[in-house]
Amino acid sequence: MKHPWLKRLLSLHGFLFLAFVYAPIIIVVVYSFNSHPVNMMVWKDFTFDWYLSIFGNPTKLTEQTLYVESTDQLLSAVKNSLTVALTTTTFATIVGTATALAIYRYHFKLKPFYQGLLYMPMVMPDIVLGIALLVFFINFGVKLGLMSIIIGHCTFLISYVFVVVSARLAGMDSTLEEASADLGANPWATFRRVTFPQILPGIVGGALLAFIISMDDLVITYFIAGVDSTTLPVFIYGMLRRGVKPEINAIATLMLLFSFAIAALGLYFRRRN
Amino acid sequence: MATKRDLRSLSTLLTPSTLFLGVFFLGPLAVMVIFSFLEPGIYGGVVWNFYHWNYGRILGWADGEWEDFDPVYIDIFLRSVRLALTNVGITLLVCYPAALWVSGLSVRWRTFVVFIITLPFFVSLVVRLFCWVLILRPSGFLSTSLMGLGIISEPIDIIYTETAVLIGMAYILLPFMFLPLYASIEKLDHSLLEASADLGANPFQTFWRVILPCTLPGIAAGAVLVFIPSLGNFIVPDLLGGAKVMMIGNLIEQQFLSARNWPFGSALSVMIMLVMFMLIVFYLRRIGRSEIVR
Repeated sequence: MKHPWLKRLLSLHGFLFLAFVYAPIIIVVVYSFNSHPVNMMVWKDFTFDWYLSIFGNPTKLTEQTLYVESTDQLLSAVKNSLTVALTTTTFATIVGTATALAIYRYHFKLKPFYQGLLYMPMVMPDIVLGIALLVFFINFGVKLGLMSIIIGHCTFLISYVFVVVSARLAGMDSTLEEASADLGANPWATFRRVTFPQILPGIVGGALLAFIISMDDLVITYFIAGVDSTTLPVFIYGMLRRGVKPEINAIATLMLLFSFAIAALGLYFRRRN
Repeated sequence: MATKRDLRSLSTLLTPSTLFLGVFFLGPLAVMVIFSFLEPGIYGGVVWNFYHWNYGRILGWADGEWEDFDPVYIDIFLRSVRLALTNVGITLLVCYPAALWVSGLSVRWRTFVVFIITLPFFVSLVVRLFCWVLILRPSGFLSTSLMGLGIISEPIDIIYTETAVLIGMAYILLPFMFLPLYASIEKLDHSLLEASADLGANPFQTFWRVILPCTLPGIAAGAVLVFIPSLGNFIVPDLLGGAKVMMIGNLIEQQFLSARNWPFGSALSVMIMLVMFMLIVFYLRRIGRSEIVR
């Protein structure tokens, strides 16, 4: 390189960029162990008490400053989130994969229409989709609750699975399928023995992405969740709106760990193939 | 070429998504558009009469009876557009050099750094914004540490300003700018850069004349992907902007959750959707379909 100073400047920017991305997260994790009961950002001592208190255990700190809303509410939000995420992931993965197979495999007149339709939910601003689903459910008398959240999430998660599986299909060696057909396998056997094993990493990746997006979705869920079916992000958003409490640090740290674990799992599956 | 069996398996594969997206995606959008032309009920809900003053209230005509034209709505709309555009500018300025840096690393480091950069964005949005609430509050990390260092004597109040909203929005939307930029910079033909240098261009000339024009599709894709979610955002202005920095998303949320004027809220949503469609059409016409698929 003829201009080492330029390169150094770029590296400096790169490190600052990484710092900007990670510093906020690291701050929250570090201060979730801070025992200062009044100002969360003044370091006092190391403590696990916030973690204990979010699970409803009495601690020294929470005796003085009874903060946590209700562990029951938190746990039911977690349960709702998991229920919604697991159901939507299953449904969206099956439907999204089927759609990807159809679009990739066949040539038909409506193909561009379908491709447009499938990309639309991903570019549609969250608030527009949330509002549209809300007025739709209310207009047709659908009760807002877990079911409405599941339907709402599926409308955009099908698209995400479709995109990931399509990418995998596009990278697939199609001669293998032809060979299988030439050797006398019927279409179902070809799918089961040849196509499916090859696109499995794409399906797993799409499913993990759908799961993580469903667990994380705030805006759409916010509009279509009923009164007694709050998910974790909506619950935390509600807590934040009422004021910042040290327990949120601990909850946030646990959620961080969970998201990183899912992302690591995704990376593992990608590496293995 | 299409045999009967092909047709049958095609329809089997497509039916679930057709039905589902038809009913639960296109259906709701249609209902929303219809609602935006209906009369608001006095206690929420809608009255099934054609009523175009929902749009008039925003754009400048009104019946003067139920709905009044109020320039405040246009102001909020324009502010949202301005903040979204500023956010596009900020993310572009932050991500472009970063993407250049990553593309200059060795192949092994490149994959790793891209992974490291995208990793935090799998973390819940609400958690990432909470981080910034903690940092920007008057009793937050920034104030406390600056005071601890003796740089300032009184707590600084960044939260509930446009600056705070812009920081938060840039933070949550960084990867939408970074990834398309990085994809287009990585594809750059390095012999072009060498040719430019051999012909006597300095690094800045090479950048302006070669690198920037070649990566324009990536810039456009990133700009669209950042602009759309910025425009309708209501979580960031709500948590970091407070009542002072109201954006169109907050206005819509109010119409549904407190003002109970659904047709007006629907009309505002339809306007966001129209802006989005215009952008996408413009983008597809100018840049081509292939880029958005990535």
